[in-house]
Amino acid sequence: MANRVNKIVLCLLALPALLVPLLCLSYLLMRGLPGLDSSFFGLSTLEQNRDGASLSNQHGIVPQIVGSVLLSALACSIAMPLALGLSLFHQLYAGRHSRSFMAHILTTFQSIPPLVYGLCGLVVFVHLLKWGISLAAGAIVLAMIVLPVLTLNTIHALERIPLALTESARSLGMSAGQIIWHVWRPKAWRSLLTGLFLALARTLSETAPILFTATVFSGVIWPDSLLSPVTSLQTHIFYLAQEAVDERILAHAWSSALILVTLVIMFSVIAHFLNRHSAKQ
Amino acid sequence: MWLRSWIIFSVIISAALIVLFVGFLANASLPFFADYGLSPIIGSEWYPYEDLYGFLPALLGSAWAILIALAIALPCGLATAIVSVELLPQRYQSAVNLCIDILAGIPSVVYGLLGIALLLPWLESNLDLLSGHSLLAAGLLLSVMILPTITRLSQDALHDIDISYREAANNLGLNWSQQLISVLLPQAWPSIRSASLLATGRGLGETIAVMLVVGSIDRIPEPWYNLLAPAQTITSRIGREMGEASVGSSQWSALMACGLVLTLAVTLLSLIAHTPHKRMAHG
Repeated sequence: MANRVNKIVLCLLALPALLVPLLCLSYLLMRGLPGLDSSFFGLSTLEQNRDGASLSNQHGIVPQIVGSVLLSALACSIAMPLALGLSLFHQLYAGRHSRSFMAHILTTFQSIPPLVYGLCGLVVFVHLLKWGISLAAGAIVLAMIVLPVLTLNTIHALERIPLALTESARSLGMSAGQIIWHVWRPKAWRSLLTGLFLALARTLSETAPILFTATVFSGVIWPDSLLSPVTSLQTHIFYLAQEAVDERILAHAWSSALILVTLVIMFSVIAHFLNRHSAKQ
Repeated sequence: MWLRSWIIFSVIISAALIVLFVGFLANASLPFFADYGLSPIIGSEWYPYEDLYGFLPALLGSAWAILIALAIALPCGLATAIVSVELLPQRYQSAVNLCIDILAGIPSVVYGLLGIALLLPWLESNLDLLSGHSLLAAGLLLSVMILPTITRLSQDALHDIDISYREAANNLGLNWSQQLISVLLPQAWPSIRSASLLATGRGLGETIAVMLVVGSIDRIPEPWYNLLAPAQTITSRIGREMGEASVGSSQWSALMACGLVLTLAVTLLSLIAHTPHKRMAHG
């Protein structure tokens, strides 16, 4: 009897974790879908001057999407080679003590709030190096945020390769480069890609660190260089949410949020499938 | 050869980034501590225009928000983990995991938007408030955001328990509740403790969602346990004021000092969480 009561109580406590995500997603779809018409994407030529000045832009939401994706892609293309290099150092050169030291440093930096990375980027890149609010500053800040996660993930992927394979390759007289290319690469590439896509999803969902370092609300459509500011989906939603009185502006915010969540979930799903295949191998 | 230089290059760059990070954060906030000493940390007034920089309202706000979040997310997350690992058959576990993944995948700015659209009006009408902006709203939103962390780590902890413990418990004739309370939970406890510390760190550092619902009023609530009044957390203060503070001003370095305090707190939590602790004596 007591068993049954306990189980029921536990199930009731577990309900929010199952209901809240469904509620959030369905509410997001309900509010966001109606706004996804051709003018939202800047495809129709219908003039929409009755919108506020900030919204009447003939490109619709496309510049924000491009800005977000550009920031994420740049950040990951900075962080991925560094993460690979660090994890190869961890596997090939580091002794036992430096390995555990690296792991400690990485987990510590993983837990530091993204906002603080943003502060640091603001001091160093925006003001000290005088890049101003720019794509490059935001990309480096985001790269710093994902670097620990990406490195830890790569290290785990390399550690899962059976030691016997590496040792027999070594006894055949293969060099480190040959081992990496012919033994490790075929075994680990799926896990590495999984990590990369998770990192893309992560950078897409960060808002606070790029708020002061990379993005502006309006005045820019396409960034013309690495040192020019961009607009991004995340900060666009944030600015619109702050003005949450006008129903039309809010509708715009919901549609943008739907696009953002779709992008993030898309990357996570790709990562998930890659991971499943690597588990089967 | 290129391999070695690439590895050395990435190690140097990463080390430089770490030094840069710590160095400039300290460098930007030291002027504040040099000018004002350590007393602002317990000061209760924050008026940048009158050179008053008390951290206490924001510290108290952050503490309340995370306490509310933990009070909700810890039981719910733990229960979700137990139900999915111990009660549900294997094939339903992936459905639970999918829900948790969705919860973790929603960006914080979208949680902020949901908070403004759903949570604030609901609080206003149910609790008869002038505005729903409050610590309670921030805590409720944070509880949803740290739920995935707690659930996943607790699931891992339950999965990691050695099969021999379950078999021994079965052989002793313990029923399900007894097994859970006297065998499984004590075994998983160290990991659950780490999970809640990590979730605390994550919640303390959460910015955008909190900023949108907390109200950003720099006062100690009246009375101090009033959770229904607009308040401020450390992150929401930095987020609100960083854009307007001029470079090198005392407000600027005060905000940097807030960032430093936050970093120290979160780093401490992460160190405690990752410190290996003695496993319980096997016996």
